[in-house]
Amino acid sequence: MRYKFAEIFEQIAKKDKKTVFMTGDLGFHAFERLRDKLGERFINAGVAEHNMVTAAAGMAYAGLKPWIYSIAPFVTIKVLEEIRNDICLPNYNVKIIGLGGGYDYGIAGPTHHAINDVGIMMTLPNMRIYTPGFAEHIAPIITKLNKESGPTYLRLTKAEPLNIKIPQYTSLQRIIRGDKVVVVVLGSIINKVLPAIQGLSRKNSVDLWLVSELPFNLTKELKTSLQKTSNIVVVEEHVKTGGLGDYFQHLLVESKIYPKKYRHLHSRGYISHRYGSRDFYLKENKLDRESLKKELST
Amino acid sequence: MLSRKKKNLSKELRLKIVKLASKVPSAHPHIGSCMSCIDMLIQTLIYEMKPSDKFILSKGHASLALYVVFNFLGKISDIELEKTYFEDGTQFGIHTPGTLPKDIPLATGSLGHGLSFAAGLAKGFKLLGQNNRKAYCLMSDGECNEGAVWEGALFASHHKLDNLFVLIDRNKLQAFGRTKDVLGDAANPAKWRAFGFNVISCNGHNLKEIENSFSQLRALNKGKPNLLIGNTVRGKGIKAIENKVVSNYTTVVGEFYKQAIEDIKNMD
Repeated sequence: MRYKFAEIFEQIAKKDKKTVFMTGDLGFHAFERLRDKLGERFINAGVAEHNMVTAAAGMAYAGLKPWIYSIAPFVTIKVLEEIRNDICLPNYNVKIIGLGGGYDYGIAGPTHHAINDVGIMMTLPNMRIYTPGFAEHIAPIITKLNKESGPTYLRLTKAEPLNIKIPQYTSLQRIIRGDKVVVVVLGSIINKVLPAIQGLSRKNSVDLWLVSELPFNLTKELKTSLQKTSNIVVVEEHVKTGGLGDYFQHLLVESKIYPKKYRHLHSRGYISHRYGSRDFYLKENKLDRESLKKELST
Repeated sequence: MLSRKKKNLSKELRLKIVKLASKVPSAHPHIGSCMSCIDMLIQTLIYEMKPSDKFILSKGHASLALYVVFNFLGKISDIELEKTYFEDGTQFGIHTPGTLPKDIPLATGSLGHGLSFAAGLAKGFKLLGQNNRKAYCLMSDGECNEGAVWEGALFASHHKLDNLFVLIDRNKLQAFGRTKDVLGDAANPAKWRAFGFNVISCNGHNLKEIENSFSQLRALNKGKPNLLIGNTVRGKGIKAIENKVVSNYTTVVGEFYKQAIEDIKNMD
């Protein structure tokens, strides 16, 4: 998604001269062109993320629109206090772009993973979270981000080509229509859930929904489906606490929807403490295609 | 208003700090730190800054000193300050608040944030072509323990932020000891010169010296951020707590209060 991000952001920044792009020394083989095009509005802030976050807040106060970028844990967990105090509490217009939500960085290991980032960001005032599932949604999302004012966290991941016609972007959307079970997915893991569903022998059973923004409200269509099926599965590449699962349960209770069956498929962290690819971690956490297929068959 | 003698202003605002702190049944106002930086605040905010400049008090625990300066400047009314300070629902935090964003761009209290914010402001002014605007930031020497301060220093220097004026209130004390006994003197001028700053040190309680230091900084090489190190005394003006760690843990009541008023009135 970062290539797509660089391409679209360049177009936005070309028109909107108030935008500033700051990176924590990352972007090799991805942001060279953006750097050349943006000139002084492209700032490599160095391996100094605490300063990058707070300096961005200062720039926002001055009237600019700073976007700050790094590997997801380095612009979330590492700099939590700067985000809370300097961006969120005063509601300053800073966009935080984290690359590698979930286990995206694979064998780079837990230091580079972000499996509790959404939960942390969800606790912050004024924060909006974007968790795109498809590279095709990057353009509408960052166009929207640039129009909005206020703190934002965009969780980017490596997208995979999928055998589906990608629908036009909305924050909460139905991807596949079905009538037996509602599956609600947070962003990145869609690229495992979708092939799992496509591999099911029984067709049209899964009503698949993708969440790309938090917080959100249940739509009428989703409520109807939740009530009708009374069978819900929430899937996320994130720990149990603080992410989509937690939030969705609150939405259900608030809407007085009490399903007969509710399952939350989430990351459990590091099972074997061994290193491997994203698929290795997903398999350990039963979030890989085969495990999901098995779970959704029942 | 500005024709008043500066020396009287130092006493007048110290007295106001002590009187406001005397309303508080605890040591929350950090009276020692307020007395330490009040003279630098007076010179910077009242005499140096232009209306379009911005100031960040990074050592947010000295907010009461900032309030009395804003009160003098007419930005905060007597009634507001005297009636509501330390009352429930007040907009005047014990740490510099987010309730007055025009004059206080950043709520501080957790140390080590102000320099980066001010550097971002200074960089922002330059990117926007607002070349006459300046960003000011006052930190404490203890605060320079924070790693983020040095990230901010690298950024300010690398981006040649000559529109950034940093002040360090170097009273050589921090929360639980002397700076030299905790992590060493992080406000040492040589350290900051090595980080690419124009540095001038002076007596941080002498308004004339502070004024001259600002003039000297402006005359130094362009293309560098500026640092004014004020050598100060925590609790300055209140003899019982001067240069003592306890100065930030003192409740202003009874005999202490009466003596503090006397001491300040008799300051040289």
